[in-house]
Amino acid sequence: MNKTASVVLWPAVAIVGAISFGLLALNRGENVSAVWLVTAALSVYLIAYRFYSKFIAEKVLQLDDARVTPAHRHNDGMDYVPTNKVVLFGHHFAAIAGAGPLVGPVLAAQMGYLPGTLWILVGVVVAGAVQDFIVLFVSMRRDGRSLGEMIKIELGPIPGSLALVGVLAIMIIILAVLSLIVVKALTGSPWGLFTIAATIPIALLMGIYMRIIRPGHVGEASIFGVVLLLASIIFGRTVAEDPTWSVIFSLTGTQLAWALIIYGAIAASLPVWLMLAPRDYLSTFLKIGTIVALALGIYFVAPKLAMPQLTRFIDGSGPVFSGTLFPFLFITIACGSVSGFHALISSGTSPKMVEKESHTRLIGFGGMLAESFVAIMALTAACVLDPGVYFAMNAPAAVVGTTAENAAKVISSWGFVITPELITQTATDIGETTILARAGGAPTLAVGMAQILGQALGGKTMEAFWYHFAILFEALFILTTIDAGTRIGRFMIQDMLGHVYKPLGNTEFLPANVLATVLCVGLWGYFLYQGVVDPLGGINTLWQLFGVGNQMLAGIALLLCTTVLVKMKRERYVWVTLVPTAWLLITTLTAGLQKIFSSDPRVGFIALAERFSTAVAQGKVLAPAKSIEEMQRVAFNNYLDAGVCAVFVVLVLAMCVYALKISLQALKQAQPTAVETPYMAEPKGAGA
Amino acid sequence: MNERVEPAGAASAPETRRARLLERARALRQAYLQVFGIPDYAGYVAHMAVRHPGEKVLSQREFFACAIDRKYSMKGPRCC
Repeated sequence: MNKTASVVLWPAVAIVGAISFGLLALNRGENVSAVWLVTAALSVYLIAYRFYSKFIAEKVLQLDDARVTPAHRHNDGMDYVPTNKVVLFGHHFAAIAGAGPLVGPVLAAQMGYLPGTLWILVGVVVAGAVQDFIVLFVSMRRDGRSLGEMIKIELGPIPGSLALVGVLAIMIIILAVLSLIVVKALTGSPWGLFTIAATIPIALLMGIYMRIIRPGHVGEASIFGVVLLLASIIFGRTVAEDPTWSVIFSLTGTQLAWALIIYGAIAASLPVWLMLAPRDYLSTFLKIGTIVALALGIYFVAPKLAMPQLTRFIDGSGPVFSGTLFPFLFITIACGSVSGFHALISSGTSPKMVEKESHTRLIGFGGMLAESFVAIMALTAACVLDPGVYFAMNAPAAVVGTTAENAAKVISSWGFVITPELITQTATDIGETTILARAGGAPTLAVGMAQILGQALGGKTMEAFWYHFAILFEALFILTTIDAGTRIGRFMIQDMLGHVYKPLGNTEFLPANVLATVLCVGLWGYFLYQGVVDPLGGINTLWQLFGVGNQMLAGIALLLCTTVLVKMKRERYVWVTLVPTAWLLITTLTAGLQKIFSSDPRVGFIALAERFSTAVAQGKVLAPAKSIEEMQRVAFNNYLDAGVCAVFVVLVLAMCVYALKISLQALKQAQPTAVETPYMAEPKGAGA
Repeated sequence: MNERVEPAGAASAPETRRARLLERARALRQAYLQVFGIPDYAGYVAHMAVRHPGEKVLSQREFFACAIDRKYSMKGPRCC
């Protein structure tokens, strides 16, 4: 771009962004169009990318295109393949975008649209995109090594092992919480359950086609896969209306939990080509397609934001999750602002495919901005809903009861006036019997999407179709994650067991495989099952546990980046990673400690556990528990959750100590001490 | 889009319009395969021809089986 154009363009982008923010923040009374929210976000992304990522690329990391990347060094035509930067951006984005950015912002919408929007935008620029970019860079300079290996090399073997324990714990929690989202979305929903169940035979059929009938023809298999999926959504209505079949496909939460546990164990034991690979392709196609459709839908329909800027629930009394804005907003929205999980992806396949060092700016920083945009759209979809409908879906039954009349009364008393008719009408519109107790983000997003896409295509009559399409799209990639995540969890458990008793670490040894699979499924299955049966537990507990864990992992990844910068003798620029590290540590340690020690039983695990165990000792039953046995379960689970939280807190503090120690040592050295793959210049003409 | 063409492949520089269009379609197809992480058999064959001439090239069936198994048996966790 030439200089004059640049001088005109960037101030223009800044002005458009400022106007959008002004409309969002200063508006009183009238509802603002969602287009302004999306426009404000896009302006922030453009400016951050143009200026901040350029600064990081040129000054902090000093990317060097003359230096050979692992893709060229090890070019094997399979894992290490130099890849066009736009293509790799797409690949990386498809790998990082999951259910996370769709859930957190929806839950955080209970505080209004402004806090969530600001944290998503500030968080991604200062923390999330920086983390993804620098981890990708650090891994690329080390032959595409994984986060765990890099921590081991740069910080030492003990921090390396600690990080692995942390990653496994977070995996278990995320698998449980994602399964719980599916359970919440499908309980008593024959239409939804039928379409999700139909994905299993469809995936198997695709797998056989791709492997045996026409090897390698993923495109053909995906086309008939998508056609069959759409057919199953349409046919789902017939199933839901049929008196016999609708009963067969109406499962309770407990039944669904068991179904998912059994599914996880079997799916993770099948060969990857049979179900995991075809399902993964299918869900990636649907994911990209849906995200694009939603973005177009928002601009095309220009829906109004019905949720206020701020609600009274910033004081911590919210029904969706409890806890005050600081620190709980910052752990509820993890993916979309900053996600520790991305550090695992940025040190996975992407660094092995980078063609030139300078490309990491678009792939790492740009990829995360795109993910953040998905989070903004999820927030938008939740905020265009009538706030009454939003709270009816997301507040637990213990608060709003189980009938539309009662829910309408309670929610109206909070100041979000809603009639029981609107609650039942919304359920009818989307082809369901109820919208109550559908916490977890996915159903709320689905209703929002159904309303937006319904206005763009098909009107009211199509809303039920779009709702089930959205549920299918989310459930599909959650099921893929359960399958793949269980395999990874099994692998990590085997790795750890191998240190105790060698044969257990052998991944070719069937009994060891089975043991590790059962252990992994048993662990996440336990948290899932408790989330379903515990009257006080569920998404509101598990999502926060996940948030604490995920942000701690981000803290660990940023501590690694900080240490590497110091070891490279770039301490001048260390604030680039130190500022987000500090912020993550402050928010997550505060949140973690409050979750453990707060005396408010709505927030603190131990306080709640003690309240229930004291009552048990006196032989009293506290609502919403119905028996002494349920009371004991609530008490035990809360002690357990406090324990998991404590593990995260201790882990991250230990990592801090190690990172500080290594950094102080490196500061005393005159020469860089970072352990990079030795410099090799690009031979002339190579990789052209 | 054709940055991944190996030097030997580039020798057959497209001279006619038709060849250019074909080249463009090939590059687009490859981009689509790479974005979605679908094993790229044509890319692999081209790679073998340039880097390892004379060595045994896997059949499409073998290559696909091997690439899928590797892709999903990797230790790296996936995202939320």
